[in-house]
Amino acid sequence: MSDFDAIVVGAGNAGSSAAIYMANKGLNVLLVDRADPPGAKNLSGGVLWGNDLAQILPKWQSEAPLERFINNKKLGFLTEKSSFMLDFKTQIFEENKVGYTVLRSKFDPWLAKKAKEAGALVIPGITVESLAIKDRKVIGIVESGDTITADVTLLAEGVNARLAIEAGLKRPLRDSDVSLGIKEIIKLSPQKIEDRFNLKNNSGVASEYILGFLGELNVGGFLYTNKDSISLGVVVPMENLRENGVTHSYDLIEMFKEHPSIAPLIEGGQVAEYGAHLIPEGGLEMMPKLYGNGYMILGDAAGFAFSNGLVLQGMNYAILSGIKAAETAVEAKLRNNFSEQSLSAYEEKLNSTYVLKDLKTFKDIRKVTNNPMMYNTYPKLLESIMLETLWERGQPKKKIRDVLSSCASNLNMGKIKTLKEFYYIYRRM
Amino acid sequence: MMDIKERLGTLKYDVDKEYAHITVDEKICEKCPHHFCVMACPAQCYTLQNGKLIFNYEDCVECGTCSIACDQGSVTWHYPKAGKGVIYKYG
Repeated sequence: MSDFDAIVVGAGNAGSSAAIYMANKGLNVLLVDRADPPGAKNLSGGVLWGNDLAQILPKWQSEAPLERFINNKKLGFLTEKSSFMLDFKTQIFEENKVGYTVLRSKFDPWLAKKAKEAGALVIPGITVESLAIKDRKVIGIVESGDTITADVTLLAEGVNARLAIEAGLKRPLRDSDVSLGIKEIIKLSPQKIEDRFNLKNNSGVASEYILGFLGELNVGGFLYTNKDSISLGVVVPMENLRENGVTHSYDLIEMFKEHPSIAPLIEGGQVAEYGAHLIPEGGLEMMPKLYGNGYMILGDAAGFAFSNGLVLQGMNYAILSGIKAAETAVEAKLRNNFSEQSLSAYEEKLNSTYVLKDLKTFKDIRKVTNNPMMYNTYPKLLESIMLETLWERGQPKKKIRDVLSSCASNLNMGKIKTLKEFYYIYRRM
Repeated sequence: MMDIKERLGTLKYDVDKEYAHITVDEKICEKCPHHFCVMACPAQCYTLQNGKLIFNYEDCVECGTCSIACDQGSVTWHYPKAGKGVIYKYG
């Protein structure tokens, strides 16, 4: 007889969602987290798309500690002196309200509290030493030398999945698996935020940037509005930082902040918190086997995140994988069978959701998002096209066709090569 | 540009004075051809002083970067013990 039906390691979006679902279905659940309060080690860029959360917490929009709902998405291409922005604002987001900025140190303790209210035993401040393994089956966890047993152990331990790696259930991370995210919380009054970003009624903006002014580095930037702060950060692929890095990683975010189109947005703001986190962007190549005798792997630990340059998502993948793992555990309990074969239903379930569908559809996306042209050439191309067409300098005007070809040739972009590359991106994006 | 030390000063830590959750093998670091950890670590835990690698774990934000950045086998990486280490107020 096990101590628990299920042990969940990690009170992030994946772990707490799984714990809520299983406890609601009457399972005897232990949820442990190494931080106290639970979730205080967690960090995200900060936009939560909560569709899936409604499955376990129908009233999440009114109950959760949310910052601002997103009704405005922007995508920016920055060069040293210019910014080219795509700005999409819609009433449709306002009517549906599913994308919100969140601060994880507020949101995650709330989610863990919901697991407790559902009946799970939540113990924060526990760093699990290792997995308890007997006869090639995961039978629970080891903490302070004691073994706590469960029929099934859900590993939602985050991108640095030490337990899974040390037990040989997942290979160690490589450069190509991750990007380094560095973030600052910049305090500004709600009034200033609303004025500067043209917001009202708790609406917010989520902007992603391609930084085309950092030489050979492929750095993305983000800026999200919270109630009384800005979440601002940069994301750099580890392999690109190793190959082409010229300065400390922590300087990159400052260079982003100093850009002429960013500095005025955060002027007068105080940095209230600095942080960093790895983002699993390796997709299928980094995905471990998701289940085995007595265990399943969820969320960041499984490599569930998605980035295509336009969006950067992970929390929704975590929540949905948590729910699917929990469904699997509940069904396994009914069969009283927690074998590898029984838990294989987890992967089957994920196969029919966007979690694994997206990873498969976009298996080559890193070739686009890590394409050096995307960072060091295309922003400059946009800048020169705009200057050619919008800047009156007493020169004879050119047709668009001639503007494009002269701008492209100034950047040494051959016609055929450029078209081939656009087609390549178009096919994969 | 805001100094990294000042930015790290915004963070709350419960430092474990008895246990370093990350350790480095100085002998390996001496022979390292790149010291990529110094560039990659977002919390300036790795610095070079007169060519010698100096490591401090106190400012670590537990991101795991150094465990990947180090391809020489010098870094041994664990999470801090229960409740210790960085505590985000915003996250």
